[in-house]
Amino acid sequence: MKTLQRNPDIVWRVEKRRQQALLARLEAGEDISEEGTVILLLSGMMHQLNLLGGHIWILCDGQRTLAAIVDILHQEFAVERAELEADVQEFVDDLLQRGWLNYAKSTD
Amino acid sequence: MQNPLTEQFSAPLTFNWTLSYRCNFVCSHCYSRDEQCAELSTAELKQIVDRLVVHQVPFINFGGGEPLLCDNLFEIAQYARDKGLNVSMNTNGWLLDETAAGRIKDAGFRSVGLSIDSAEAALHDDFRNQPGSWHKAVAALDALTQAGVRSTMSSVISRINYRNFHQLLDLARQHKVSQVYLHNFKCSGRGFKNREDLDLNPQEWKDFYLEALQVKETTKDLLLSFDDPVIASLPGYVDNSLVKGSSCGKLSLHLRPNGDMTPCGFIPLVVGNILRDDFEEVWYNSPILNKMRNKEAKGKCQGCGAYEECLGGCTARAFATTGDLSQPDPHCWK
Repeated sequence: MKTLQRNPDIVWRVEKRRQQALLARLEAGEDISEEGTVILLLSGMMHQLNLLGGHIWILCDGQRTLAAIVDILHQEFAVERAELEADVQEFVDDLLQRGWLNYAKSTD
Repeated sequence: MQNPLTEQFSAPLTFNWTLSYRCNFVCSHCYSRDEQCAELSTAELKQIVDRLVVHQVPFINFGGGEPLLCDNLFEIAQYARDKGLNVSMNTNGWLLDETAAGRIKDAGFRSVGLSIDSAEAALHDDFRNQPGSWHKAVAALDALTQAGVRSTMSSVISRINYRNFHQLLDLARQHKVSQVYLHNFKCSGRGFKNREDLDLNPQEWKDFYLEALQVKETTKDLLLSFDDPVIASLPGYVDNSLVKGSSCGKLSLHLRPNGDMTPCGFIPLVVGNILRDDFEEVWYNSPILNKMRNKEAKGKCQGCGAYEECLGGCTARAFATTGDLSQPDPHCWK
């Protein structure tokens, strides 16, 4: 099984106050999918991840596989597992392609 | 996934940290040469690092003054590095020999910027008022390369170099520099006193940036950076930053040797002290910082179509020349 880890050259930070504000807006039924909560700094550029993307990013700590990450998110978000897995896979594939994530090691 | 986030940043991304205003040079443009300020103990400096860690500030850049004159620089840098911060510094290179480069490597510096203002030794030495400084700075670049430390070059654009900045890029290439910062001239401190001799006029700034941006576009082997918000008013300029206008007080703060915080090194307005004051209170509620984040168009900025992009240009320059944070940048060509 391959675990996912963040590119160590990327400096990142959770914007806690903004995260709290967005969680409150999510509770109120607002669409916050385009709002960033985690900032990434790479080669002088800043990028943002939304609430779900930021959550996945934090979970990619080199210890968890994609399936394990989906399991955790499934407990927190009220969506079908297959749908969630597809979304996470798409997001992770994008970040793998950008070089922001990579597979850490085989734990087989 | 990019949208403006500035007002929600929970802390600066960078603290530009002046450990001491002491310097072995008397540069013609220096903002801080005439400054005097009490310095903190090593224990207090470590307390500051601890606070930066708590507030998740990812970058420290030591400036000055000349940071290599500070006996505790490496101890503080390593302490910060061990706590996960990314540490860099800017130096004139006079004291950066092979031994110092090794210590820089051991302390975990992410990069070191050398101030070099001309590819011609005599011009640089004259600007820095220090004979032999160009050769020492260039040797420092090589010492960093030997030690395996990433080097950058910082060049303040002024009358001595704006027509031949290409030569600075060639010099950078020759010495394996990864990034060149072409800094805009700030009329603070000695820079204010020598402004007539050194600063460009607005049209010259415009012409310089048009050419420099074109060079940046076509330069692939070297990263070329500008930090001048007035560029955003150029037609067709595409800004990748999340912040419009000056980044001071939005993405960065400056720390004076006694722990006082100012929006940037060029704006001598103290917004609080990092050891004595509640940082979040200062960061979110400082009237000065909030005024800088919410500038109102004044003078020729009123009704200017570019204002939404440049937000009046460099706040430090406006303040230095008018005493008003919201006045137009005197470099503006519009």
